[in-house]
Amino acid sequence: MKNDIQPVKMTIDGQEVLVKPELTILQAAQQNGIRIPTLCHHAALSDRGGCRMCVVEVDGAPRLAASCVTPVRDGMQVVTVNERITETRRTILEFLFAERNHNCMFCPQSGDCELQDLAYELQMDHLTVPQSFHEFPVDITSDTIGLDHNRCILCGRCVRACEEISGCYVLNFQNRGPGTLIGFDLNEIREESACTSCGACLQVCPTGALYNRYRTHYSVKGHPKDWQTIQTVCPLCGLLCPTVSTIRDNHLLKIEGAIPAGDEQPEGGQLCRQGRFDVLKNSGRRLLHPMVKKADGSWAEASWESALDITIDRLNAVRDAHGGNAVVGLASGLSSNEELVCFRDLMVKGWETGQIATLENSGFQNIYRIGPDKGQTFKEVSWKKIAEADFILAVGAVTHDSQPVVGSLIRKRIIRDNMRSAGIGPNDFLYPYGTHHIPLKNGDELLLIKTILSEAIKVMKKTASAPDVGKIFEQTEPVKAQDIVKKLHLDGKAQAALDEIIRDYVDSTNPLIIVAEDIAAQKNPSGLRALVNLALLKELYGNESLRLIVLKPGGNSMGAYKLLHPFDQEEQAETVPKGGLVLLEQNPFQDTPSLKIPGNLDFLAVISPYWPDSLVDCAHVLIPKPLWMETDGTCTGLDGSEIAFRQKMLDAPAEINPSWQTLVDLAARANVHLDYGSWDELRQKAEQEVQKEVSGEKT
Amino acid sequence: MKKPKLATVWCEACAGCHMSFLDLDEALVDILAQVELTVSPLTDFKDYAFPQVDVGIVEGGVGNEENREVIEHLRQQCRFLIAWGDCAVFGGIHTLRNWLSKDEVLRCGYVETASTVNGIIPAHEDIPQLLDKVLPVNAVVAVDGYIPGCPPAPEALAYCLKELLAGRLPVLPADMIHFD
Ligand code: SF4
Ligand code: SF4
Ligand code: SF4
Ligand code: SF4
Ligand code: FES
Repeated sequence: MKNDIQPVKMTIDGQEVLVKPELTILQAAQQNGIRIPTLCHHAALSDRGGCRMCVVEVDGAPRLAASCVTPVRDGMQVVTVNERITETRRTILEFLFAERNHNCMFCPQSGDCELQDLAYELQMDHLTVPQSFHEFPVDITSDTIGLDHNRCILCGRCVRACEEISGCYVLNFQNRGPGTLIGFDLNEIREESACTSCGACLQVCPTGALYNRYRTHYSVKGHPKDWQTIQTVCPLCGLLCPTVSTIRDNHLLKIEGAIPAGDEQPEGGQLCRQGRFDVLKNSGRRLLHPMVKKADGSWAEASWESALDITIDRLNAVRDAHGGNAVVGLASGLSSNEELVCFRDLMVKGWETGQIATLENSGFQNIYRIGPDKGQTFKEVSWKKIAEADFILAVGAVTHDSQPVVGSLIRKRIIRDNMRSAGIGPNDFLYPYGTHHIPLKNGDELLLIKTILSEAIKVMKKTASAPDVGKIFEQTEPVKAQDIVKKLHLDGKAQAALDEIIRDYVDSTNPLIIVAEDIAAQKNPSGLRALVNLALLKELYGNESLRLIVLKPGGNSMGAYKLLHPFDQEEQAETVPKGGLVLLEQNPFQDTPSLKIPGNLDFLAVISPYWPDSLVDCAHVLIPKPLWMETDGTCTGLDGSEIAFRQKMLDAPAEINPSWQTLVDLAARANVHLDYGSWDELRQKAEQEVQKEVSGEKT
Repeated sequence: MKKPKLATVWCEACAGCHMSFLDLDEALVDILAQVELTVSPLTDFKDYAFPQVDVGIVEGGVGNEENREVIEHLRQQCRFLIAWGDCAVFGGIHTLRNWLSKDEVLRCGYVETASTVNGIIPAHEDIPQLLDKVLPVNAVVAVDGYIPGCPPAPEALAYCLKELLAGRLPVLPADMIHFD
């Protein structure tokens, strides 16, 4: 690439530097290791130049310039610090402290506050102006984010984060002058606004105005010098958002998004309500010792040995009496790949069971069972490609309780890039920005998809440049659009939208289809085939992936699908379960997993971090395990191609064995040979299996 | 040379700053070898008729007429006045009442608290009147040095005294400033 843009030569604090001409003075200084204090500036957000904390002297001019919004110029002489500048900055700080209530000793944010840090840095050891002592409201209507206007300095970072990071446009400035307040929507209280509780605003807020209602009090969080941070990923939904966790003394204080300064991460450093807040909720009483149910139905503590022995003996007995398929294995979809491999090997080799699944699994893999050729498997496109799409068709997609960041990413594309979009059936992210929306009774989406497919084919047959999709053309039974319109009671507006959706889809060059899990799980092969064929009307993305994104129910649903798949025998008649082993996890999306376990099992063992409230009645043995955040593990992303390592953040209680160890111990007692005995061997094994799946060589 | 004289007072405060003074532990011995502690809660003085001193140190905000008198008197009697702790420097925890009127504060404290039965608001000419708002010391008299912190770090006080003994007006370095 030809690079004829001349760098700018300027001087910062006497140091001559060469910088790119599009930079601001602040960026130029930062690139050269010179610190300028800032407050309303945030590396990931656009600049407004509102607080003047970053003032510098330019060419000796009497009026100081805000460096975060002043572009560099050739020959510029910049001074970033001298007595006058420091005095100005300190005065600004004093006004901010005096304007509202910044008596830190009763602020939950104290110790973790940029405003306070600046006061220290600039040695603001007292105020020379009187404090206002005006009273401002406090909004604690939400259980996640508190907004105390008394601590707000109106820097506007939250407003920009809500627009630029989360694409929600919920926040704005209300009123004027000293009475200005940050507001939600049209002056709603927070709980009634359209806020999704993503917490982006809270993360960028430099003060205690927006604060986390979990674990923020300093009696919990202590002093930052005692904090440790761990960078890892959030395993809760398959998007694997990068996170930064703050830990003190083996307590998790907060999880934040790893907000990048540039555009390098499609999710933009977002987290969602689950990943940021729900993980901080206490999910119940920890299970600390193995427990065995006594004859009178009460629970008694047991040794690890006896709990494992009982489990093996009883499950063996079930198998001997009723056959292996009467032993079911259910694992949380949040389990790591390693746990799943171990769990599968134990269940299959130990009891020859054919019934293994994840707890959350709704049957979304039904969609993989069809395709132009029956039994053909396909690769899904990565959700990250939403960043490049030119049309999104959302089929019954409600993202808030599954993958909220997907909704946010689409909304941002619509607003920023005018990307066209359409929703069919329930949807929670297109309003009010999306191009079309046809609300439908739940369950009718696939009928409309058949119509769209059939009509799109009609249009495409007329164009010479249509890709080679002859097979699809043949396979597709033509649908009479008018009949469907009548059947679904579509009004004139919806019919017009339908026409446009068809045209938009045909005209698009890079469309993506987002499908809700309950639709992918429908037992409706012709409908699902229409959906897959609609995606196949457009070339495979990057020559390999189908333009389809299925919103899956569990964090590691795709890992589980791949690792447990060979044993996924839905087509066979199911044997009635008589005994089983359940591997639970903390799952903020679903506090009590909806277990389809008959209450009268001969034997049920549950390996769980918590007292499994929904299972204590039918279980016979409870075995503790660490939480996901207390163990290392790998998880597979939403589309199956990305494998991420999630690092442990906390130490598990010393008396609790990791679940893989428990499973290996159970295998030894069941005389099952596993080709791994240590964690490292297991990890290698899981990695091999997952890699194999990813590159398509299915075993 | 005569030892410089020191006086300390607490106004609307919790005594935490003076506790922090005691937290200097063995360093106290060195300090007391170099200064003479005159009137101070630590010397159990009951009336605040200050002698002339070199350094006056104030813990607490100015919340009532008595506080104001004490501060004004100390200001007259000392050469250098130091505001010590968040309450003296900013008003601190006591400013929680600055969002209420004086009457509400008294009603809250003497009548409405859960444990109070038949409470009455004490009134007598000997009881000092509350000011409308709790004020930092520098809103009432001129202050020469500041040691914020709740409680202020013992080392910060030691640093300031050392500076004063060396004939300099103390200004805390950034790493000694904290507000919590
Ligand atoms: S927001 Fe920051 S500066 Fe303001 S009171 Fe809280 S900790 Fe102190
Ligand atoms: S709430 Fe926080 S981020 Fe928003 S304007 Fe106020 S101080 Fe700034
Ligand atoms: S939590 Fe997210 S959606 Fe809600 S106001 Fe903050 S940035 Fe906006
Ligand atoms: S979107 Fe998914 S990966 Fe990201 S924070 Fe939420 S649950 Fe975690
Ligand atoms: S940081 Fe530059 S004006 Fe606020």
